[in-house]
Amino acid sequence: MPEAVPQNAGYMIAAYIIVAVILGGYALSLYLRTRRSLRA
Amino acid sequence: MPLPEAVRHAWYVARKDLRVEVRARTGILSALAFVILVLLAFNFSRDPTAVPAIDLAPSILWVTLTFASMLALNRAFQLELENQAFDGLLLAPISRTSIYLGKLIANLIFVATIELLGVPLLALFFNVRILPFLGPLVATIALATIGFVAVGTLFSAMTVRTRFAELLLPVLLLPFMIPPLMWAAWATGPLLAGRPLSDIVGWLKMLAAYDIVFVGVALVLFPATVNE
Amino acid sequence: MKMIRVGRWITAIALVLLAGVYVRALVYTPVERSQGLAQKIFYLHVPAAIWAETAMVLVGLASIFYLFLKDPRLDRFAESSAEAGAVFAAVVLTTGPIWGKPIWGTWWSWDARLTLTLFLFLLYVGYLLLRGAVADPGARARYAAVLGICGMVLVPFVHLSVYMFRTLHPMPIVLKPSAPSLPPSMLATWLFSLLVFTLLYVGFVVQRYALSYLREQLEAATGGIGHA
Repeated sequence: MPEAVPQNAGYMIAAYIIVAVILGGYALSLYLRTRRSLRA
Repeated sequence: MPLPEAVRHAWYVARKDLRVEVRARTGILSALAFVILVLLAFNFSRDPTAVPAIDLAPSILWVTLTFASMLALNRAFQLELENQAFDGLLLAPISRTSIYLGKLIANLIFVATIELLGVPLLALFFNVRILPFLGPLVATIALATIGFVAVGTLFSAMTVRTRFAELLLPVLLLPFMIPPLMWAAWATGPLLAGRPLSDIVGWLKMLAAYDIVFVGVALVLFPATVNE
Repeated sequence: MKMIRVGRWITAIALVLLAGVYVRALVYTPVERSQGLAQKIFYLHVPAAIWAETAMVLVGLASIFYLFLKDPRLDRFAESSAEAGAVFAAVVLTTGPIWGKPIWGTWWSWDARLTLTLFLFLLYVGYLLLRGAVADPGARARYAAVLGICGMVLVPFVHLSVYMFRTLHPMPIVLKPSAPSLPPSMLATWLFSLLVFTLLYVGFVVQRYALSYLREQLEAATGGIGHA
């Protein structure tokens, strides 16, 4: 039986959260900037 | 415009720039002082007992030349900033291509002068033998410089009138200087260590390919930086 | 404006599907035996890297067509693609080290993909900075096009440099993070993720394009900068 699968879930979670923040954050930025330009 | 005429016009443009530099001399003197100071900084930033100078010499050489070239390129179109001199240049009966070539030649000569003075200084400060390898070394430096200056001349035409030109030009230009810097440094290392020419020919070919591509691209794109 | 609505809908759907990718990758895709759970970062990292590079190629192509056709729509598209490309590059540059640390033991290793993406990111930043620094809209579009084309031409040279750097400096890689042949369930997750990232790119670009258009209208109406 080969050695156990490495326990590195923390990294996976951190990466998935960061990606959600970046992509969601950019989507939000687009939304807000467009709204600001529409109001002007 | 027939080729010989374009080149002749380019030479007139270059000569004009060089005349201004020779008369004022502040440009070349500042650049030289800069090179000496950078070499000084490199010297004091290393532990001479840890790594022999010969190992660091290629990196020091190429980082210094990269930054010195960038400073030199900043001034490339600054000459025309005042008195709407650039409009005068555009109204002259010469092609945009000639203007680019002329600027390129002037910049090459300016940077070459810096290198002519700076490389012996590096050899002196870091006790590096360069005379036995002078031919290939000059070829390497010439090829890399052409790459730096070809792209740099094009970009400085665009950045010269922006607010943070001295900061913007390096930010735009450095990504384009890193591949040639790498190939030049990787050629210089074995060269100074006395390895046969066949070892470094590959790097020189990469530099030459880069130069051909980017001089061509810059020639084609330069008119877009000056057309109304 | 219809385009804004379309763009927002596409982005919203893409984000919902992204959540679907998350669920599929985290819950329904088998764990890779040698790398463990961290390997699942691959499903986000690689599609982002593909679009970070593709966006640059598209900026370059749009720039070439813009210089020929002078159609402002191409310029707006280039600007939008550059911003989206920068976002995807940011995803690659954050997930890369987080994946690298548990797998390679080091946060950064000058891995081919990461290094190339770093170059791309810097090119995008330079492109956006140049656009911000030029006030005249006509010059801005032309200069950006010049830089965009140069950036696209540089990419193959960076690929070459990175390849040479790595083959001559063997990296301490224990595992190859992107396995050449994926088992079907992993491949399906990866393809799903690629589709979602494609959709995200489209949604981002459409919205950003609409924003460019809006801003141009505002600039024309008020006759200059200084309005919300």
